[in-house]
Amino acid sequence: MNAGDPQGARKGSDKPPIVIYENVVKRFGTFTALNGVSAQVNAGEVVCLIGPSGSGKTTLLRCTNVLETIDGGRIVFEGAPIGSTPNQARAVRQRMGMVFQNFELFPHMTALENVAVGPLTVLGIDKESATRKAQALLDKVGLSTKGSNYPSALSGGQQQRVAIARALAMDPEMMLFDEPTSALDPETVGEVLNVMKKLAEDGMTMVVVTHEMAFAQRVGDWIVVFDHGRIVEQGPPQQIFDAPTEERTRDFLGHLGWTG
Amino acid sequence: MNYDWSVIWDFRSELASGVWTTIQLTFATMAVAIPGGLTIMLLRQSRFRLLSWFGTFFTEFFRNLPLILVIYWVFYILPTLMPNVDFPPFATGLVALALGVSAYNAETFRAGVNSIRKGQTEAAMALGMSRWQVMRKVVLPQAFRRILPMLASTWVSLFKDTSLVSVIAVADLTYTALEIRAKNYRILEMLTAMAVIYWCLGYPQAKFVDWMYRKIGVTE
Repeated sequence: MNAGDPQGARKGSDKPPIVIYENVVKRFGTFTALNGVSAQVNAGEVVCLIGPSGSGKTTLLRCTNVLETIDGGRIVFEGAPIGSTPNQARAVRQRMGMVFQNFELFPHMTALENVAVGPLTVLGIDKESATRKAQALLDKVGLSTKGSNYPSALSGGQQQRVAIARALAMDPEMMLFDEPTSALDPETVGEVLNVMKKLAEDGMTMVVVTHEMAFAQRVGDWIVVFDHGRIVEQGPPQQIFDAPTEERTRDFLGHLGWTG
Repeated sequence: MNYDWSVIWDFRSELASGVWTTIQLTFATMAVAIPGGLTIMLLRQSRFRLLSWFGTFFTEFFRNLPLILVIYWVFYILPTLMPNVDFPPFATGLVALALGVSAYNAETFRAGVNSIRKGQTEAAMALGMSRWQVMRKVVLPQAFRRILPMLASTWVSLFKDTSLVSVIAVADLTYTALEIRAKNYRILEMLTAMAVIYWCLGYPQAKFVDWMYRKIGVTE
């Protein structure tokens, strides 16, 4: 199979697939946000979705945990197509962590409470274990001493790291990142990317919508390039960043000032 | 014309008892109308058509009727609905005020809930919370904080509006003062006394509301 094939089913990978997107279609009114998207996320891989704004990357991510429902095709998660009823959606979401562009920490809870609220509310874990677990996760993202701070008393980078810890608290099988560094001051981008890199090294399966090409190149195992609701090219980072087969990929990377 | 202000002092215990009834009625009404308003708001947002229709109907019905009409209406309707139950005037007044104020509070809660941005709901759903858990853990605590000044404003209005229940002989401050007036014809004295008492009790509440608006306005 041609490595540049936008349909990009990946033969030869020894890792089992976690998510398979099959011809996914999503419309908002008359606007087609996703126009037949097929891709695959394998266990332990970091898949980076790149492309211009409005090209459908975020929409695909949101369809993955049913924050949006799809209008065509299907998304298979761990062997079973995801459904769209509230109960089916909840079941899927409990197994996927999501990190948002604007952090979306809960402002009326401390950092520690933000991390503990998922296990406490959704998994029904007792308060003491949930708190202990939350503290361990704050340690992991380098915020051991910030547990009692409210989000408003944290920097953007710190808030986003708390948000990552909050998602991890549910022991997800995979993590979804929606432009996790786009709303950050440049000097705090690094601390968030480092946490994500460590997570990837620990073997977490991750789908990352990002404009950080250096991160995608260094940490990504598979890069998917979007344009106008379609995948123009997908492949390993060496191919996408060093030898893109598609004109549109070269254009996009060129606009970002990417020189390889 | 000569004034005799001593009647106010002479009837001090009656007036005090009227004040006490007014305060009790205000507290009792709010104690019902806050959970009541919350329930009506949640019904209105329900996925089930019948429930949401009922919530909308309740809100739009009671919000757009004069409170005094609701009071009269409850006064005449309640005994026909439950002929075996003896409703004292206080309970009747409480039911009527609670209906009206619940409708107001439902709208206040709705405004508060709608003011919480969608991303908060999505973040909570992404953790796998149910709609109800999202509401209880994430949306309502934030919304409640935001609408606290509005609820306090309603409280101050309610404190004055309790005077309307005097029409069904609830012995609140208004009813008591007007009764005294009817006995001794000291009209101006009693009305002045009422005005002074309502104002002295209402003013600090209104100031408290102003303070709340300032305080919460800063942190948002």
